[in-house]
Amino acid sequence: MRLSDSPYVDVFAYGMFIAAILLLPLVMDDPFWLNRIAKYLVFGMLGVAIALSWGYAGILNLGQGLFFGIGAYMVAMSLKLQSYTSLQQGSDKPVPDFMLWNAEPGAPTDLCCIVPGSWIWQPFQAQWFGMVMSVVVPVVISYILATAIFRLRVSGVYVAIITLALVLLARLLLIDAQPLTNGFNGLTDLGWLTVAGIEFDPYLTATYYIIAVSLSVVLVLARLLISTRAGLILQSTRDDPKRSRFLGFDVATYQVFFFTVSAAIAGFAGMLYVIAAEFASPSFMDLTFSISMVVWAAVGGRSSLLGACIGAILINTIEASASETELLQESWRAVIGLIFVLVVLYLPRGLAGIGQETVDWIGRKAGISGRSRSGRVTNPSAAE
Amino acid sequence: MANPALIIDGLSVDFGGFKAVDGFSTVIDDGELRVVLGPNGAGKTTMMDLITGNTRSTGGTVTMYGKDITNHAEHEIARAGLGRKFQIPSVFRDLTVFENFEVAVTKQQGVFGNLRFGLRASEKEKLDQIIELTQTSDVIDKRAGDLSHGQMQWLELGMLIAQDSRVILLDEPTAGMTQGETYRTSQIIKALKGQHTIIVVEHDMAFVREIAEKITVMHLGKMLAEGRMDVIENDPKVQDAYLGSGGIH
Amino acid sequence: MADILFIGLSLSSILLLIALGLAITYGAMGVINMAHGELVMIGAYTAVLSGIYLNFNMFVALPLAFFTAAAVGLLIEKLVIRRLYGRIIDTLLATWGVAILLQQAIRLQFGATFFDVTVPGLGPGLQNIDVPSFLNKPFDVAGFTVQPYRTFIIAVTLILAALTWYLFYRTRIGMQVRAIMRNPDMAASCGIDVRRVSALTFAYGSGLAGVAGVLLAGFKTVQPDMGAAVVVDGFLVVVVGGVGSLLGTGLAALLLGQINGIVAVLSNDIVARAVVFGVVIVLIMWRPQGLFSFKNR
Repeated sequence: MRLSDSPYVDVFAYGMFIAAILLLPLVMDDPFWLNRIAKYLVFGMLGVAIALSWGYAGILNLGQGLFFGIGAYMVAMSLKLQSYTSLQQGSDKPVPDFMLWNAEPGAPTDLCCIVPGSWIWQPFQAQWFGMVMSVVVPVVISYILATAIFRLRVSGVYVAIITLALVLLARLLLIDAQPLTNGFNGLTDLGWLTVAGIEFDPYLTATYYIIAVSLSVVLVLARLLISTRAGLILQSTRDDPKRSRFLGFDVATYQVFFFTVSAAIAGFAGMLYVIAAEFASPSFMDLTFSISMVVWAAVGGRSSLLGACIGAILINTIEASASETELLQESWRAVIGLIFVLVVLYLPRGLAGIGQETVDWIGRKAGISGRSRSGRVTNPSAAE
Repeated sequence: MANPALIIDGLSVDFGGFKAVDGFSTVIDDGELRVVLGPNGAGKTTMMDLITGNTRSTGGTVTMYGKDITNHAEHEIARAGLGRKFQIPSVFRDLTVFENFEVAVTKQQGVFGNLRFGLRASEKEKLDQIIELTQTSDVIDKRAGDLSHGQMQWLELGMLIAQDSRVILLDEPTAGMTQGETYRTSQIIKALKGQHTIIVVEHDMAFVREIAEKITVMHLGKMLAEGRMDVIENDPKVQDAYLGSGGIH
Repeated sequence: MADILFIGLSLSSILLLIALGLAITYGAMGVINMAHGELVMIGAYTAVLSGIYLNFNMFVALPLAFFTAAAVGLLIEKLVIRRLYGRIIDTLLATWGVAILLQQAIRLQFGATFFDVTVPGLGPGLQNIDVPSFLNKPFDVAGFTVQPYRTFIIAVTLILAALTWYLFYRTRIGMQVRAIMRNPDMAASCGIDVRRVSALTFAYGSGLAGVAGVLLAGFKTVQPDMGAAVVVDGFLVVVVGGVGSLLGTGLAALLLGQINGIVAVLSNDIVARAVVFGVVIVLIMWRPQGLFSFKNR
């Protein structure tokens, strides 16, 4: 029995991580950096989403940016309508500034009909609507997509290619719908999240806490989810879908469920990102971004939720520190490329793997053994 | 007489002109242990694929305990009470032996019913028995992929028992086993006799003699003969079919 | 109508040019080489650099780019891919890292940037190559304007496709490659040097990418990330066509190029690309094994 298999080690590791991100504002009082770290915590949440679908379900989604992007745009639409750039367009109702630039001469300055299709923005005047849609739309789309893919028993690399093509498709549609979405420029000059009359300036410590607490909750819930029986059955479908079917499980149902949960987390992350970064852009749906998420998860450890989360935060924090000069930034990109090749070749379990081996080494040195899932005392020589 | 466990009637499959199974029929009684023999390419494994829904049949029906299961989805057939062991052991290699059993013993099918932690008392009791029967307690926390060939076969058998299938199909359960392992396997199968209806495809005649009651011989996708061991051995048609491979041995 | 079809044909030929190399590295070897685009880029830079320093024109640059890209491909195979055969998703991830490294090598001028040295033809900026003037003058044939450079690309693509087909189906090494494709262990036990043949095949696929780079450089600006933009299209062509089928790759390039061309005329370029992605998604869902693949039982 290896010590790293013990549930207590996980409880300890998750506890330490959550304590660290919650206590960070006590030692870091630079609001600029705190805001940056908040964004990287959001990327950490994306790491969790990737590890859940890739590590536990064996589904590599190369289009996770689609759900992140949708989540971001949904809340950004609401925050755009709350911004002064929308409120001061000579009408008593908010109208995004870019719509005026695109409107036909003489079109009414009203969301109903300033540009074709602009009525779709109307419900987003309520901030809660945008926030709810940030999760609901990714859930609906991922559910439909996953049902189609997994009912047809598409698997492996083909799922990766389909999701990749889909995010590129969505990106093009988003850019093409320029009068509605401001195309390449994305949604900028957004208002602040306002809850019960309190405005959450992205540089406030309170805004950092919204994100840190959200990440902690998502991390713990996702960890609990995979240790349920359903989580175990999901892992079984990853190992041998045929055997799972012959045991009576409808494999597609499990794949659809976890694919959708992963998309919901990504959508939620998109929403949080907009609250911290004050913009939404089609670059969220760039191929580079979706693959970067996978890179973070792989470096952190693809089959460890916490590892993937820490991988994302670590890589982005180092990248931000390196971005002081352009030369450093370009060199760092090269280093990341190299690290990534090395991780795939020599460290398939990522940083989490190093962590587990260290824990096991301590366990062996100290003669501590974990308690197994079976709860049985096994003959140690046979278990080796 | 009780409802038969399995009625196979005129089962056929056509792979672009090649009929791997061609109008195969047999009736297997509740609690029976049936051995299916046949030379290589007789269609034994294909027949199992057709029964379990792994391959779609192009003709005929399969009825299990009065319920038509012809060409249903694999998981529906499994839920109706049919379990299968593959020729190459099929277990969840990255899960531990215990986790493999845990998945197999799960009665609830859907995702939401399985959003729970730990083992139910009834599940625990059953797993204890199975671990006992398959003698896997020493390797219970080992990754299934790290087991020896024999242990992996017993794990898969144990999973079928945990699944609580009324009808169990075993495709060459002793393939690649040592004599000792083969003997243990026959003991496990004997222990299952009576509680489950079992259909075994096997080549190892020593093993067949050890367990067999009634035997069905397949040849070229069709049923050639059916009956007790001694009757089959002296059937001239069977001897003919096996002539190329040197007779039953 | 004929000119719309010609636009489509021209797009098809570029798709095929990119996809041809991938049809070999992905289709035949099961390696998702995300650095394929960067090999295209290296081909383009070979043309740029040989133009600046050696005064080579495009035609001389074609074989030079083939061998340069092939050499880089060989290196990638020996250092990275070799350890990853059979782990298709891992090849995708590792070569993504390689792609970044290659891009940064050009951007940082192979490190010269650290010493404040500027190498003309390298760096993050845009580069161009000159196309021989006789390939730039449109001429009329039967009242219909022909773009000579586009025609040249189509011709080179067809020649390369024919050559590749010949190599694969009419030579001894081609037979060995196809044997490895079906069953590497069996091929090895039949006395085929699987490592050597795999390395050479990968290098050949990479070399084709280099040639594509030179041709692409004739009508696109050359920059470090130019390859990343084309590699996805190339993959989609190979997957839609059917892994391991050269004919399928050709037909898929034709199909997707025509769809792109026709929709672009009816609507705009963005919508045309979106439609192509949509068609690809539906086709992969419907036939993941590809439109024209051989049946594996």
